[in-house]
Amino acid sequence: MPQVLNSSYEELVQKAQELFWVKGYKGASVKDLAEHLDVSTSTIYNKYSKEMLFLDSLIYYNQTCSDPFLKGLRDNTDGIESLRQFFYALIDALLDKSFPRSCLMVNTVVELRNENPDVVKLYDQYFDNLVTSYNVVLDKAIEVGEIKHPEKRDEYSQFLLGVIFSLSILFKINEPDELRQFVDEQLAFIK
Amino acid sequence: MRYKEFNRNRVLEICLSLFWQHGSGGVAISDIVEATNVNRFSLYEEFDNKEGILQAVIDLYRERYSNAKLALLKESGATLEVLTNFYLSFLNPNYKYEGCFIIHIGTELADTDPVVKAKLKKYLSDIETLISGLLQTDPELADHHKIYAKHLVGLFCTSMSFCLIHSEKERLDHITNSIKIITSKHQKHASSTE
Repeated sequence: MPQVLNSSYEELVQKAQELFWVKGYKGASVKDLAEHLDVSTSTIYNKYSKEMLFLDSLIYYNQTCSDPFLKGLRDNTDGIESLRQFFYALIDALLDKSFPRSCLMVNTVVELRNENPDVVKLYDQYFDNLVTSYNVVLDKAIEVGEIKHPEKRDEYSQFLLGVIFSLSILFKINEPDELRQFVDEQLAFIK
Repeated sequence: MRYKEFNRNRVLEICLSLFWQHGSGGVAISDIVEATNVNRFSLYEEFDNKEGILQAVIDLYRERYSNAKLALLKESGATLEVLTNFYLSFLNPNYKYEGCFIIHIGTELADTDPVVKAKLKKYLSDIETLISGLLQTDPELADHHKIYAKHLVGLFCTSMSFCLIHSEKERLDHITNSIKIITSKHQKHASSTE
């Protein structure tokens, strides 16, 4: 008799994402997943596969965590100050227990690198979205005259892509004040 | 004694390769036993536990793979070029371990394992000291060597994660662009209204 699932697929993805966030892709075994999702291992092997649940977890992450976070940034009209608030919020999120192991996308970049082409496609979407958002903010900063070299906008947004990655490693060994100072100094570089 | 030293490094090299591929969470003692052909009692005798093995692997990586790259920061030449070569030395696609194991494992474990955290901190602080030393030899950059070095370490973290998923050209672009933006701060500040 086929097993009756107690949860919808979206609920399963949501739960799977929690586990991948804590354990990473390789650290989460099919057995762990089955226990966490309250289904049998054969359901995962036959019906979904670990990889499918992982890819959908990343998509779910982009939609529910990263997209709303970036939309907030784009809608802000405070120029450089909005970037500062954005990075400060990221620091709080990194240090907050409710955000288990820094950004799921960044963790995945570090863990899987370019091993899986489907995952690489998702990185590209994520980084395009980030650069677009940074550009929107930099344009506003340029409008109010905060940036001395407006012609360098694209170089600056590329540079800012690195901030999340630096923070995702530095927060493990630095104090919150040092991290905020790091952000302030990074932003001073582009003024 | 000599035989044991050799044996220890052989085991650690195999473990490095396992940890590199699967992360610490993805490697069980049984995997290590299988890959090294050393039984778990001998492993525990030498290293106490899996954490002990991992710590020894980090030390071996520094000694055998990382220190030669860190030494590039002591080479003579144009400062920005020396820096670029340093970053790129970790990113050679033909290289067995593309990226940096200590950043890699630190990202996974520094939150939960205080020894790994201490090793990551020491590693990045050693790199910062070396970069600082390099910048102090350059009259153009010496004045602000501290702040530059701090942010060039930030760039090191970025290079060992973000850059890995990009093509060689994109890596080089990101690194040279970032070095330029960080080290041109002083010139801009001189005429800044702030």
